[in-house]
Amino acid sequence: MRISTIGFQTDAAQQMQSLESDINTTQQQLSTGNKLQSAADDPAGMAQVNQLDAQISASQQYQSNGSVLNANLQIEEQSLTDATNVMQSARDLAVQANNPALTSSQRQDISTQLQQLLQQLVSSANSTDSNGNYVFAGQTSGTQPFAQSGGSVAYNGSASVNQVQISSNQRISSGDTGGSVFMNIPAGNGTFTTAVGASNSGSATIDTGTVVNSTQWVPDTYTITFSDPTDYTVTNSAGTTVSSGTFTSPGTIAFNGISTTVTGTPATGDTFTVAAAGTASAFSTLSNLITTLNDPTLSSAQIATQVGNTLQQIDGAISNFGEVQASVGARINAITAANTSAQSAQTNMTASVSAIQNVDYAAATTRLSTEELALQAAQESYASIAKLSLFNYIQ
Amino acid sequence: MVDVLRTSVSGLLAFQKALGVTSNNVANVSTPGYSVESAQFAPQPGESTSIGNFGIGVLVTGVTRSYSELLAGQMRSSQSSYSSFNAYATTAASVDNMLSDPSTGLTAQLQSFSNSLQTLANSPTLAASGTAVLSSAQTLATSIQGYASQLNSAEQNVEGQISSNVQEINTLAGNIANVNTQISEQTNLGQPPNSLLDQRDQLINQLSQYVSVNTATQSDGSLDVFIGNGQSLVSGGTAQTLSAIPDQYNPTQFDVSLATAGTAAATVNITGAITGGSLGGLLAVRSQVIDPTLNSLGQISVGVASIMNQQQAAGLTQTGAQGQPLFAVGAVQVSPSANNTGAAQVTAMRTSLSALTTDDYTLTSNAGNWQLYDQTTHQSIVMGGDGSAGNPFTAAGLSIVVSGTANDGDSYLVQPTATAAAGFNVLLTSPTQIASGAAVQAAAAPGNTGSGTIAAATVTDPTDPNLLTATSIVFSSATQYQIDGTGPTLTYTPGAAITADGWTTSISGTPAAGDSFTVSSNAGNIGDNTNLFAMIDGLSANALNGGTVSLTGASNSLVSQVGAQTQQAQANSQAQQAVNTSATDAVNNLSGVNLDEEAANMLKFQQAYQACAQMIQVSSQMFTTLITAIANG
Repeated sequence: MRISTIGFQTDAAQQMQSLESDINTTQQQLSTGNKLQSAADDPAGMAQVNQLDAQISASQQYQSNGSVLNANLQIEEQSLTDATNVMQSARDLAVQANNPALTSSQRQDISTQLQQLLQQLVSSANSTDSNGNYVFAGQTSGTQPFAQSGGSVAYNGSASVNQVQISSNQRISSGDTGGSVFMNIPAGNGTFTTAVGASNSGSATIDTGTVVNSTQWVPDTYTITFSDPTDYTVTNSAGTTVSSGTFTSPGTIAFNGISTTVTGTPATGDTFTVAAAGTASAFSTLSNLITTLNDPTLSSAQIATQVGNTLQQIDGAISNFGEVQASVGARINAITAANTSAQSAQTNMTASVSAIQNVDYAAATTRLSTEELALQAAQESYASIAKLSLFNYIQ
Repeated sequence: MVDVLRTSVSGLLAFQKALGVTSNNVANVSTPGYSVESAQFAPQPGESTSIGNFGIGVLVTGVTRSYSELLAGQMRSSQSSYSSFNAYATTAASVDNMLSDPSTGLTAQLQSFSNSLQTLANSPTLAASGTAVLSSAQTLATSIQGYASQLNSAEQNVEGQISSNVQEINTLAGNIANVNTQISEQTNLGQPPNSLLDQRDQLINQLSQYVSVNTATQSDGSLDVFIGNGQSLVSGGTAQTLSAIPDQYNPTQFDVSLATAGTAAATVNITGAITGGSLGGLLAVRSQVIDPTLNSLGQISVGVASIMNQQQAAGLTQTGAQGQPLFAVGAVQVSPSANNTGAAQVTAMRTSLSALTTDDYTLTSNAGNWQLYDQTTHQSIVMGGDGSAGNPFTAAGLSIVVSGTANDGDSYLVQPTATAAAGFNVLLTSPTQIASGAAVQAAAAPGNTGSGTIAAATVTDPTDPNLLTATSIVFSSATQYQIDGTGPTLTYTPGAAITADGWTTSISGTPAAGDSFTVSSNAGNIGDNTNLFAMIDGLSANALNGGTVSLTGASNSLVSQVGAQTQQAQANSQAQQAVNTSATDAVNNLSGVNLDEEAANMLKFQQAYQACAQMIQVSSQMFTTLITAIANG
């Protein structure tokens, strides 16, 4: 076949250029470690890399959300432990105060200690996280949630809490509102409270009672009136008698599905009240106890009944704190679980990204040496062939 | 003797010419487009005598060039394809490189903006996190604007190249016409003007780099050149002028028009018919890569802006006010045709994000009716409404209002997203302007005795003037309720939507008579992050293309779309380069000079010349012998 001299030269140059361009591409891949220099190298792969990178970044964000929340929940858990300890101490003091042998000044000493505990409880309820946000303020975390004015403590926070996203499909509450933790604790035994009439002259006390059949309970305020030390009638708030009977100490008085026990000797005309329970705050529980212990006019029967109710409410508060603590613990566990699965998902995604994007060094190095060899061969053969010409032999 | 002399002299002269042709071939060994020539020998007609016909030497009848019209045509067409794909791939690769970087790419920016909202949600009142959201929004805006401006400058670059390509084509066409004139003059003299033919072939090869051409040889040796759908560029000695003219809708874009032969000052727009060559590649990359990329980028910008702005309005800032728009975005571009004669005004605005497309449309007045035509899918679009301000045309997520009177045939180009990205800006300056909280809160009254619970209220119409006014829902019985104590008594269905004042909620459980619920401004709850999650959810939802594609999905497919176009153009360019190389090889192998061949020819003609010279010497000796014999006789 006829080959033109100019064609031979151009072809040789073009082939060497093309080999040099291949070497350049391989060299670039080796030096950047990146197989994809642009989307044109692998359009679907690049889209996948972008998507995976975005997912990894989102996953890291969720982890960081979780770790911030974890720190806040630890603080909340500590606050709840503190509050539980306060209530435990208050319980011990209440039991100690429920002793008819104590003088009123001794009861006042106890109430001073309770005053201290109330301060501690308010301070636990107003605890802040690392950003200075109030743990129990709900969404209005910049405002101090509990304000004490005299003996009463009011909740100024919001009724709802923020959510925090800890994984692509999990949003959990960032905390608990002070309202649900400290304010809405069921009073008395949870269904009703009992009280000794203020003007009773007898020595009888009433216990906190129990619910026998909750379906028969009609919420109302009932008055148990002793017409004489052995006969009583129970009337509701409308004055209608719902029950009556004879009484021997200690005697059970049961009506409308509940039962309560009166102990001691009531005087004629003594009254006891059984009222539907609302909610009480942990603070008012303590401050009511403080007021009771500070009041020298109360009979030991009245004190005993008050303390009995208070002990129930303290137990209610402790159990409420425990429930919240359990929920906090569950959330901490959820964060840990989300963190672990995020970690392994990220490892997998990073591996996928690197499989698509990263250069296979062994293959690329082998390719580079093959390409180098080809270029070297092209150069050497060109150099030797280009010298050949018939003109060299014509003398 | 005289015969011998005459015959030898004819050989001397012939081989001298042949050596001349050989030396010309050797001299042109590196001349591009040179076709190797060879002297054609023929015996001189002999003299007839009674004893036979005696030859009287050799004659050079002509000099022919080694040339194949077929091979030259193959080389030209592969050259056109290669130039076209090469121009396409070069521009597409610059767009591809711009979009490709995974660490600074659009998807990464969108994710990091969403991440900044997550961080803010962890602590909505923390000013540092709010500032981080704004700076992340600014980074996103800068990057989208940067893309738009790079695409616009790529477009300007393409326009510049279109304009210079048109000039080159005109110069080459003029040269071809000149050479045509000379060729036809010389052809009429009898012998083919080889060097002029080579020169013209070379000019046509150059022309085919710019645009795909067809040729037809005329009987006088001149060659007619056609481009597009057979529009004449060169006819004999006349070249028509190609011009880059402003597009009728967009004066910054060039169309290509060709002067019509015969009719003075008449031109025909052949933009759509131009294929091949760098001009064809440039026109294709503009309409297939640059413009669609701008539109897609615009769609994503509109998506981000409309999701965020809508949610801003549906939430409250830390000062208790409804949020202001976070992002500005370029408006719908409506461009009247330069050919319009009527006085109609067309304005368009976006009404639905999910119905919005990345296509461009033309709105044309036809016999009193307005017709919308999708330029990308080449389909007519049915519009709702009548185009008045009260009842605008609706189509493709747009509402279009036409005022004034148009003449028949007047048209407008409607580009829903083309300039959106260039106008993508952050409007807010202070972190306190971010509406992180929900606008309204729903709550049950504290004294309720029933078990009814109310769900969180969501905003359905942020523009409702009574949105933030407290509204009560009071149950007169377990099954009936009234809104604000004045409205009609409504029947309660657990879980059914209750809507008023621009919000919607639902109540479930069993409310008791006298129970009440309120929906009121959430202004007191300045640490609320509910609206931030609504923003995050909005950004990750499938909001585009009829609710099928998310923002990151659109951004990823933009990258892979441009990547695939670039990849294809690069692959085609390489393939066509190989085809072109082999076509060029074929031409070179036929028409190129081979020095070894010339060396052999040189020896051959040299030896023949020497032999003829010897024959003259023989003839001279014969002559001398005869003269001496006579003298001695």
